Amino acid sequence: MNRKNFITKSSVALGGGILAPYILPSGSLFAKSGSQKADHVVLVMFAGGVRQQESILGRYLEDSQGISGAAGNIMPNLFEGNAPTKKIAYGTSVSGMPAGSEPIPKLLTQSMEKSGLLFPEVKAQSAGHYVGLNTLLTGNAGTAQGLKVRPSYPTIFEYLRKHAGFKATDTWFIANGIGNSTPLLNSSNHKDYGLNYGANMFAAPVTFSSSGKEILGNSKTYSRTDLEPMYFMKNFLDQSFALTQDQITSISNTDEERTRIKDFIKSVFEKQQAGQLALPPVSNSGDAKNIMYAAEVLREFKPKMLAVNISGVDSCHSNFTGYLQSLHRADHITGWLWQYIQNNIPEMSGNTILIVAPECGRNETPNPILDQNDWVSYDHSDANALRVWSLMLGKGVPNMRVGSSAQPVGRLTDIVPTIADIFGILDPITNAGLIDPLAKSLYSRI
Amino acid sequence: MNMRNLNKVIGLIIFACLVASCKKEQHIGYGVENINVYEDKSRKTKKKNDAEYISILYTNLYQTAISPNQLYKTQNVLYSIGDQDVASEMLLSNYFNTGSIQLPSNALMRQDIEAFVINTYKRFYLRYPSEGEKAFFKQYILKNSAVSVEMVYTAFATSDEYQYY
Repeated sequence: MNRKNFITKSSVALGGGILAPYILPSGSLFAKSGSQKADHVVLVMFAGGVRQQESILGRYLEDSQGISGAAGNIMPNLFEGNAPTKKIAYGTSVSGMPAGSEPIPKLLTQSMEKSGLLFPEVKAQSAGHYVGLNTLLTGNAGTAQGLKVRPSYPTIFEYLRKHAGFKATDTWFIANGIGNSTPLLNSSNHKDYGLNYGANMFAAPVTFSSSGKEILGNSKTYSRTDLEPMYFMKNFLDQSFALTQDQITSISNTDEERTRIKDFIKSVFEKQQAGQLALPPVSNSGDAKNIMYAAEVLREFKPKMLAVNISGVDSCHSNFTGYLQSLHRADHITGWLWQYIQNNIPEMSGNTILIVAPECGRNETPNPILDQNDWVSYDHSDANALRVWSLMLGKGVPNMRVGSSAQPVGRLTDIVPTIADIFGILDPITNAGLIDPLAKSLYSRI
Repeated sequence: MNMRNLNKVIGLIIFACLVASCKKEQHIGYGVENINVYEDKSRKTKKKNDAEYISILYTNLYQTAISPNQLYKTQNVLYSIGDQDVASEMLLSNYFNTGSIQLPSNALMRQDIEAFVINTYKRFYLRYPSEGEKAFFKQYILKNSAVSVEMVYTAFATSDEYQYY
């Protein structure tokens, strides 16, 4: 080989050596279009249908029940504002006092509004739960989205796995149950994305229920030496059967990731037994349990992207008091989760962005159902149900309030491009042409 | 004709009718031979749903049907986990941790590996292994003394082909 040939070939080899590790699952080179703003994003899908009036507007019973002088903020961890002083029914119950009369003490020293970026008046694209959740995760208005089917458009998990090269355990969806098609939200059925790029998922209240413990909790702990032949034989059988892309019905982890997930499930059951799971101070709700399991997943996997769904406030269809209590608790557990990340997960502390947004609002006018306090209830179908807010805080997020009730700024479909922007892959996602054309990164809305 | 003769004639007619109505049974053969029918890998295109997968697996391992209540609980728990491989591996491992499961001993497997491989393919996939498949498993089990029946069964029960029929 002459000198010229040697230099050419060695340069090609060196270049290949440098570039090869960055070739993404999509087959393209690392497609980052901007600088990464944080290493982790946690999205709290503050779902169930939240009225502007009792949340961001701090109107408590004044607007909903027409009780004058009964305004006030019942979400002190998220928003600024003094608590109501009249007819307190949203807190915890203390013996000898009226039910719910003791508000839960605020956990955060500073509200999220005070330390983050608040869009107080955002336009939701749907007044329904499932389409709303789809909107939060796909960035598409999803007007034709059906129930009991996976999202038609790719989720943020798939975008991140395909365009940023995240592995399966880097992306998690923690669902609050198996009803309402919620477990289908970890991946779309889009032909260019789909389960191959889906996120790991637990419908945690079911996975870690007593049934879960009975069915999974007694499983053996195999050593790596045991697992290796099992996976080797399984991989041989799978290669021999060779499923096509459209036949894949589950997300897939590497053998190593699978082992880690199984160990994690067992460890949660053990902690449950020993009473060692970290819980919010007030944890008497399904939402609190779900947030607790989300915190466990965060602590163990330190995922780059985790979305957790809560929905207790949907009791508002028939129980306004229950709705207020759920709203107050949803604020409490969201504050707790943020505090937990800062205090207990050093790898994520100071390097995480938290995004909080409801999936839809609730009606302006009530239905006739009265609860134990003779307060009317609210469904979600009118224009008021398309009014929501969004909140973002954490690494490098400016402290601002953008827009107002009179001047709405932003759409719920903004959440996906915002997360893409945080991870520096906004361009490939926009160019894929599958998100709402009016959606923008919240950073661009400022 | 007197009454006595008339009775005789009627009896004779009845007897003749009975004799005429009896017919020798005909044995018709179509040249079909009895054979055992097995699945073909390439024809397995339908995915078992959760209930089918769980009940078939349970019956396979315990040789008895799963109760509706147990099936319902198992279905829900499996559905609650994103990676179905993780879910079914843990379910299986849980089953293997109970004493009542019906599986051959490791000694029996090593005594006649080929027969074990064929029986395992028939038990899980309802088909015979190809020569290549048989050779792979025979060699792998032979060369790896740590491979147990439980490991082989786990690999089969969590494999993609077992999810289809």
